[in-house]
Amino acid sequence: MDLFYSDISKNQETTWEKLLDDLNNTTKYNPYCYQQDFYSVFKHIILSLLLEKEIVLLDSDFSKEEIQKLTGLTNLNKNIFPIIKREKQVINNKTELINRIKDTGSNWSMTLFTSGTTGLPKKVVHSFQSITRFVKTTEINKANVWGFAYNPTHMAGIQVFFQALLNGNLIIRLFGLSKEQIFNSIKKFDISNISATPTFYRLLVPYQDSFVCVKRITSGGEKFDEKTADQLKQIFPNAKFTNVYASTEAGSLFAANGNNFFIKPEMELFVQIQDNELLIHKSLLGKSAFSDSEWYHTGDIVKIVSENPLQFQFVSRKNEMINVGGYKVNPGEVEETIRKIEGIQNVRVFAKSNSVLGNIICCEVVKTSDEIDEVSIRSFLQSKLQEFKIPRIIKFTDKISTTRTGKIKRS
Amino acid sequence: MVLLNEIINTVLKNRGKEAVKDIDESFHLRNDIGFDSLDLAELTVRIEAEYNVDIFEDGIVNTVGEIIQKINNK
Repeated sequence: MDLFYSDISKNQETTWEKLLDDLNNTTKYNPYCYQQDFYSVFKHIILSLLLEKEIVLLDSDFSKEEIQKLTGLTNLNKNIFPIIKREKQVINNKTELINRIKDTGSNWSMTLFTSGTTGLPKKVVHSFQSITRFVKTTEINKANVWGFAYNPTHMAGIQVFFQALLNGNLIIRLFGLSKEQIFNSIKKFDISNISATPTFYRLLVPYQDSFVCVKRITSGGEKFDEKTADQLKQIFPNAKFTNVYASTEAGSLFAANGNNFFIKPEMELFVQIQDNELLIHKSLLGKSAFSDSEWYHTGDIVKIVSENPLQFQFVSRKNEMINVGGYKVNPGEVEETIRKIEGIQNVRVFAKSNSVLGNIICCEVVKTSDEIDEVSIRSFLQSKLQEFKIPRIIKFTDKISTTRTGKIKRS
Repeated sequence: MVLLNEIINTVLKNRGKEAVKDIDESFHLRNDIGFDSLDLAELTVRIEAEYNVDIFEDGIVNTVGEIIQKINNK
């Protein structure tokens, strides 16, 4: 049985054969993809590729009002059209399907919305070429089994989806599952590759068991702290760890070993660092409303490690810096320091407005030891951080809130 | 104002400073208690959580007595 997709939380197992049946028997096409079920989203994307029609990905948790603001439509079903037989030839097997998809022409486009920390999500349109720029199809990759740990309508999820699809790999849903379900899935399907946010990985550690099947762990979206990386290495002793820089606007751009990112020679002309901010040339971006200037300001603050060849580390997001009485605090740095404390599993640092200093640093902590209290955390931090960076209000909680993309929520 | 004393000493203790005994209304927040602006910021958050009043909303507060006045006048 050649499986295409599985979700153990729903007892769902779908074969390539079933996928082909579903595709061959579809008679209507709606360019708007607004579904909760991961398989339905994947099938919808594949159908759009075969038809070479536009697809617009909408998060399943968007409200009606949000949909209307983003698309200008009150009814998404108005644009459904019948599929004419000659537009879509019957596909007989998996290889044929993958080859057809690889031949996708320039009529196809995919519209995504950034998870935008600044209010309404921004629209970005990608071509097949821009979205699959970093997909690697090789013989070795054909045996991979992917743990799918992103929202399927977000850029990171799309990147994983195409990497898996074009290699004919099995996709296993991990996003939104419990820790036990995630480990059960890894074991049951011998998952070899996982790509996820550091926040996702932080929820997996610590764990008493280890899994030798996992060959590669990729992370992106936030900086990875050493403590989590070390704990993950114990759970996945055979895995290589890679860090990827990607954005909805540009897709995957560069990778790193550890936290040092390097630029391949062919990319050098397309990347610039200005006032510590990473800029990307517009030719690497999908079409979008804001790419009218030559260089796109990513809002990512970096630290240069070496000039020639260019290597850098991500420090923070520009708009995430918290201003405390004129001093800038990087919440990521504070979180990283707090995570070093024994007995703390996870932490979220955020700002609360304050009449004295403008903002005051607060944090939520998930602890695994009763010995941790407000005083012990603060006394630990006193030797590690400047006074204004230390959270003044510490709350204990069972769960850290995350954004739709699975990153830590800052407000 | 036992509770206010407790709040003041919580802020001091969190900061690794000595608790202050026998706080009275004449105590100056900076000079007598030893608060800096970070401590004052924390103090406002904690007082707001207890009494639902932002003591620095309309400007500087210097003494314990002035805080009590703000709380009573809310």
